[in-house]
Amino acid sequence: MIIIKDLHKSFGDKEILRGIDLHVKKSEVVVVIGPSGSGKSTMLRCVNYLEVPSSGTITLDGKTITRDVDINTIRAEVGMVFQHFNLFPHMTVLQNITLAPLKVRGMSQHEANETAMELLRRVGLENKADARPAELSGGQQQRVAIARALAMRPKIMLFDEPTSALDPEMVNEVLEVMKALAESGMTMMVVTHEMGFARQVADRVLFVDEGRIVEQGSPDEVFSHAKEERTQSFLSKIL
Amino acid sequence: MSFDFSLIFDHLPLLLVGALVTIEITAVSVALGVLIGLFVGIAELSRYRWLRYPAKVYVDFIRGTPLLVQIFIIYFALPIILGMRIEPFVAAVAACSINSGAYVAEIFRAGIQSIDKGQMEAGRSLGMSWTQTMRYIVIPQAFRRIIPQLGNEFIAMLKDSSLVSVIGFEELTRKGQLVIASTYGSLEIWSAVAIIYLVMTLSITRFVAYLEKRFH
Repeated sequence: MIIIKDLHKSFGDKEILRGIDLHVKKSEVVVVIGPSGSGKSTMLRCVNYLEVPSSGTITLDGKTITRDVDINTIRAEVGMVFQHFNLFPHMTVLQNITLAPLKVRGMSQHEANETAMELLRRVGLENKADARPAELSGGQQQRVAIARALAMRPKIMLFDEPTSALDPEMVNEVLEVMKALAESGMTMMVVTHEMGFARQVADRVLFVDEGRIVEQGSPDEVFSHAKEERTQSFLSKIL
Repeated sequence: MSFDFSLIFDHLPLLLVGALVTIEITAVSVALGVLIGLFVGIAELSRYRWLRYPAKVYVDFIRGTPLLVQIFIIYFALPIILGMRIEPFVAAVAACSINSGAYVAEIFRAGIQSIDKGQMEAGRSLGMSWTQTMRYIVIPQAFRRIIPQLGNEFIAMLKDSSLVSVIGFEELTRKGQLVIASTYGSLEIWSAVAIIYLVMTLSITRFVAYLEKRFH
């Protein structure tokens, strides 16, 4: 579903990604962990070209992103959830969710509203359709953001530290939604510091440091039997 | 020294006609200025040089030269190139809106830049184009944020529009000059003119404050 080949990314003369190779299968849930500044978010943002790679190729669902490909049609198939939610503050929850289906997919208002309401039910917020983002708690906002991304019926979902900006008591409600999504068979890449979530939900855990994938494997392999010293040292600090 | 109030009352209707013309030219110029400013402001942020550079040159030229000189260029110099006379109203509106456009462009540019980058990223990540994201997400938010500055621009334009009196366009200031030419009542008429301007600018200030409240 996602094939990353020899991905490099530099900002100025600072090299953030130093050759990433990754193959994510359909319905696979890959959790990316690593210290801050390791390049894990940049890697995720390269997948839907929010950051343009310095070199290397990204192939999504068989389509390799090149200059000739319309990036918008590819992004429409890849949902993204941000650390700071990035909801549109001047719109209601319902408008947030329906905007892209209306403008990009050309969905009818009726169909878009129905889809949105169904998704709001799924994330447990059907009674907040007419609220403004500012009236919601952080956890609720992030659940709306997930619904907004799902409204495009993406084939892949990317999560960039989705719970890092949340108060501790709101982390679980978001993780529950993500867990349900993973169980429904969504292909997911999740950058997170939630090791409990990684253990429970991930099919594969990647440890990224200094722009490279240092180690990867099942949650058990990485968390309990890490081979690399850097992985062990990172895990010992956070577990 | 005596202050002859009857002079003001006798000529008040004439001055108020001038005030209406001032409002008219200001409203038309700022409306056109907002339109110009929106596109130029966006052009200034474009990743394309052929859009960015001309926008920058326009803004720098207008903001770096006096409005009075711009009015002279349009009314006196441009006809030499075009080979045809330009009506004072057309010249006045053209000069004022081109002038206003440059200032509004800077207001829009700053307003757009003040919107969190995550908004553009969120829009783009949903598959919307840059233009769609600008139109539906960034600009509506920027517009709300710049209402006070647009109000200031309106007030500045209202006052600066007095400069078009030099090409004989009969707005408030010019009307005042004409009344004084026949009555010699400099003290009374200029005082009245000043107070009419003041009433107009204060009204706009109030109106903008009301708009600001409504949008927040």
